[in-house]
Amino acid sequence: MGARVSTIGSRLLAGQMSRRSFLKAAAVFGGAAVTGTLAAGCRRQAAAPTKLVVLTHWGAQPQKDVLEPIFKKYQEENPRIQIEHQTVEFGELLNRITTGRLGGVAPDIYHFYNLWLPEFVASDLLQVPPDNVINEIRQSYSQSTVKGVTYRGQIWGFPTEVNSYLLLSNRQLLQEAGVKEPPTTWDELLEVAPKLTKKDASGKATQTGFAFSRGWDSGVVHPFTCLLWSNGGEYVAEDYSRVRFNEPPGVETLELELELIRSGGADLGFAGPGSSGAQDDFLAGRVGMVIMANWYGASLRAGLPGGIENVIVSPVPHSAKGTSTTLQYNWLWGVDKNSKNAEAAWEFLTWLNTPKDSGSSPMGDYLTTGLNAIPARLSDQEAHADLLGDAFVKPFVESLQSSRTEPIIPGAQEIKTSLQKQIEAAWFGEKSAQEALDTAAAEANRILAEKRQQ
Amino acid sequence: MKQTEAERTGMALKAGAERALRAERAPGLRWWLRRRSVVGYAFVAPALAFLLVFAFLPFVFTIYVSLHEWNMLTPVTSMPFRGLENYRYLLLDDPLFRQTFANTVTFAVGNVALSTLLGLMVALALNSRVRFRTFWRAIYFLPYVTSSVAIAIVWANIYNANYGLLNGILEMLGLPPQRFLASVSQAMPSVIAVAVWHSVGYFMILFLAGLQNIPGELYDAAKVDGAGDWQRFRFITLPLLKPTMLFVVVVNTLISLQVFDLVFILTNGGPVNATNTLVLYMYRTAFEFTRMGRATAMAILLFLITFVITLVQLHLLRERR
Repeated sequence: MGARVSTIGSRLLAGQMSRRSFLKAAAVFGGAAVTGTLAAGCRRQAAAPTKLVVLTHWGAQPQKDVLEPIFKKYQEENPRIQIEHQTVEFGELLNRITTGRLGGVAPDIYHFYNLWLPEFVASDLLQVPPDNVINEIRQSYSQSTVKGVTYRGQIWGFPTEVNSYLLLSNRQLLQEAGVKEPPTTWDELLEVAPKLTKKDASGKATQTGFAFSRGWDSGVVHPFTCLLWSNGGEYVAEDYSRVRFNEPPGVETLELELELIRSGGADLGFAGPGSSGAQDDFLAGRVGMVIMANWYGASLRAGLPGGIENVIVSPVPHSAKGTSTTLQYNWLWGVDKNSKNAEAAWEFLTWLNTPKDSGSSPMGDYLTTGLNAIPARLSDQEAHADLLGDAFVKPFVESLQSSRTEPIIPGAQEIKTSLQKQIEAAWFGEKSAQEALDTAAAEANRILAEKRQQ
Repeated sequence: MKQTEAERTGMALKAGAERALRAERAPGLRWWLRRRSVVGYAFVAPALAFLLVFAFLPFVFTIYVSLHEWNMLTPVTSMPFRGLENYRYLLLDDPLFRQTFANTVTFAVGNVALSTLLGLMVALALNSRVRFRTFWRAIYFLPYVTSSVAIAIVWANIYNANYGLLNGILEMLGLPPQRFLASVSQAMPSVIAVAVWHSVGYFMILFLAGLQNIPGELYDAAKVDGAGDWQRFRFITLPLLKPTMLFVVVVNTLISLQVFDLVFILTNGGPVNATNTLVLYMYRTAFEFTRMGRATAMAILLFLITFVITLVQLHLLRERR
């Protein structure tokens, strides 16, 4: 073959080639080129790594500094896997997922809020995990956490961080007001909050006993739901056919919030954590108490006057007819249904969430050291007992035993926003408690009925 | 009969001319290229293609989506058809749509009226021979070139009911403190004030350009005729500024009807939807509630509202010219 090619080449150079010879030469070169290309392609295919695109909202540099070395370690252990970590802000995460799907550039793995499960499942976005993953999740996570990643009886992915709500009190402000312990009941809350409120000579409040996080749906609705459950009430019917927050326990809960405002115990001019467009007054030491989630601890450690030790964490106050109940919500890893690398994706997620020699999974390490969050996996909670045992985090971890999962219902986000607006309407005196909750319930029931038809 | 040399030459010339004429009339490439209109179309083709791809097709697709139910997660081909249901719901059953529409109109009216008036007043003041004129012009224009997000964050703190600068000033003046953004009745005026502060410098520049185009001789002649300041403003400045005024009012209205960033950062539409605007509601409906059909129906309705308002403005202002 080589000799023949060189003969053809020399004839071609000498200009002695007939038309037939030229066609032969073209056939030989063409054949060789095609064979070579195919062989190279096969070699490349055999050697090409599998690329897993992972989308999270963990884009802050301190978070990436802990998470990405974990991804790198997996790549070193599995040279055929290449992980591309894409990040967006939390507020843009849902947009990125939807537009990625739309544009045909969906990631293989998502990290997402469990409230989005109904939409994702209805749209056939997620892949059902393999049986071994489902069994692992059932055995290694608390019942409420498993419920938090389950929709329509199906587990949809590995639970990651878990957040619950408790009452946070500023120790120094309590002491200044002569209050020894944070309130545990509604009556105590109504008694203590006005004592923590301070006003200047002109009558302007310079400090408030309790602050509401207005302008932020979760900041309004999650504490309300905690208080509602702590009053023996329900957010939604068990079959998700209708909401129940406008029943008497719900109205009593909103009345409690209104009484806090009327008594001067809560001033709406102050902003709770996460309120839109305003400085966080609890962090600035101008608020006595808030009901807030454990993820807020990172901000408090960084900026609260007197440090995190200045915060007392206690159960959500309950009414005479209820017991203190907290709300928990989860995040989870899921795999895109259209992912061509689904098998590799589940293998990677299993590795990421499986305990190693230290007793902690890589995910547990990241959540505790990189994110200051509570890992959902029980063995991770045990392995990081030292970190999770400090005075701020421990009550949150303990509360998970008795917490309830945020209701994962179709149209949950829309219902939550609608309820937020109506609760705020009551706070600002635009509507009575009953009127506001009835309006929100009518809207929520319409959304639920609409989603049932889809 | 033999042809003479002259006859042969004449026939050859005639045949050549006929060939040239045929070539001229034939629809060949050269003929097309010689036509001016073809060359013109070729020049505007890139711009037309750009408009087609980035304006016309998305507009048509928006209308198409508004007639469907779509959450952006399902394929475009499997959107359930809803006809005019999205429009019917918004116009008849959705009180929030009506409220956000009313809020948007309130914002637009307040912002257009105040920023146009103040822009004109500042332009008149800075068109006269004041000291450090260029410096003052730059000062007034500065807010416009500042990011609206940064402005919103700063103003949120200025408006803060408990430790904000404004309440500090009110206190110094012996006046009672106000809630501003934390008050249902004061939130919208507070947002309008920030929007006016942000945009007045831009409209000042436009009015200044208009004022400098008015010939000085007209004022001199009016002065000779005994016209006072007000009369010169009323009968010379104002009529000759009408084209600028038309531009300012129309552009300002279009910008105001699409307000988003300022309310998103300052109030997030609150308290109690008091500052919730159409575009903010549209954004939430699309990207938080993933109801793209309803959001695109809102977009079409906003387009129609804007179109009608702009037509009315053009009609009113042109009629008086």
